[in-house]
Amino acid sequence: MTAAPDVHLTMPARPEGVAVVRQALAGMADALAFEAAVLADMKMAVSEACTNVVVHAYDGDQGTLEVDMLADENGLTIRVRDHGTGIRPEAARSRDVPALGLGLPLIAALSDAFTLQGSAGQGTEVRMTFHYARDSDPAEENPVPGTLGDDGRWAPGARRETSAG
Amino acid sequence: MEANPIVLDDAAGDVVVVVVEGEHDIYTAPTLRERLDEAIGRGGGVVVDLTGATFVDSSVLGALLDARRRALEAGQGFVVSVGASVEPGVQRILDITGLVPVLPVVNDRAAAIETARVNGNGSGG
Repeated sequence: MTAAPDVHLTMPARPEGVAVVRQALAGMADALAFEAAVLADMKMAVSEACTNVVVHAYDGDQGTLEVDMLADENGLTIRVRDHGTGIRPEAARSRDVPALGLGLPLIAALSDAFTLQGSAGQGTEVRMTFHYARDSDPAEENPVPGTLGDDGRWAPGARRETSAG
Repeated sequence: MEANPIVLDDAAGDVVVVVVEGEHDIYTAPTLRERLDEAIGRGGGVVVDLTGATFVDSSVLGALLDARRRALEAGQGFVVSVGASVEPGVQRILDITGLVPVLPVVNDRAAAIETARVNGNGSGG
C-alpha cells in the first residue's frame, strides 16, 4: 500500500467548507485502497461531523474547523475538531437552524470506531476510524435510532418498526 | 453553470419535480428549502428527483422531511424519486434512517409523479 501523507486542514467553520473537506478526503482515499462503500460512509460521517461544527460550535460567532486525516496499516482515522462552546446536542436541536439530531447517530453508524471528546468551553473533537475493508457493516451494530413520527417530524429516539422482528 | 443545480421541472403539469443534482449538504440546503417552498406553493403534487444527486446529508433530509410534512398537511402529494441505480452517497443515508418506505422513495420518476398526483388533490383528507 502506498503511504499517504498525513493531512491537516484548518479553515473557517462555514457551510461552504464542508464540501472542501469531502474533496480532500476523496483525494486522500484515492491514495489508499478503500472500498467504494467505505469511502461513501467516510464522506457522509465526516460531513456530519463538520456540519456539527459549522452549525453548533460557535453559536453564531466566527471560529475554525480543524480536520486531521491520519492513515495507518488498518485504515484512516479522521479527527474533526473545533474550539467552540462544547457538546450540547440537546440544546442544538431546539435552535433556529433546523436539525434532526442525526449527526452523531449517523457518525456512529457509518464509522468502524468513533469517539467524542470535549467539555463546555473547551471545544469538541470527534474521532472516526474507517478500515480499508470491512468484515461487517457498522450500521448493523450501531443502527440509527429514530423514526418519522405521526406528525411528520423526525423523532430521534423513537424505536423503528422493522420487518425483522 | 451551477455545479450542484436544483431546478423545478413543471412539464408534468399538476406535479412539480424538484430536480436535485450533484452534492448537497449544509451549504446548499437553504437553496433546496427555497425550491421546495416554491414547488409546494404551486399547489400540486411535489416530486423530488435525486437521480442525479451524488451526495446528500442530514441537512438535506431535514429539508425533505419539512417539505413532506407541509405538502401532506396541504393535501399535496410528496414523493422522492431516484434512478435505477443509486449513488451510495444517496442510498446509504436513506437506508440507515429507514426513510425509503416513509418518504416514500421510488426508483422511477414517472411512477413518482403518478404517486404524487394520486396522493394529492386533497384525496388524503
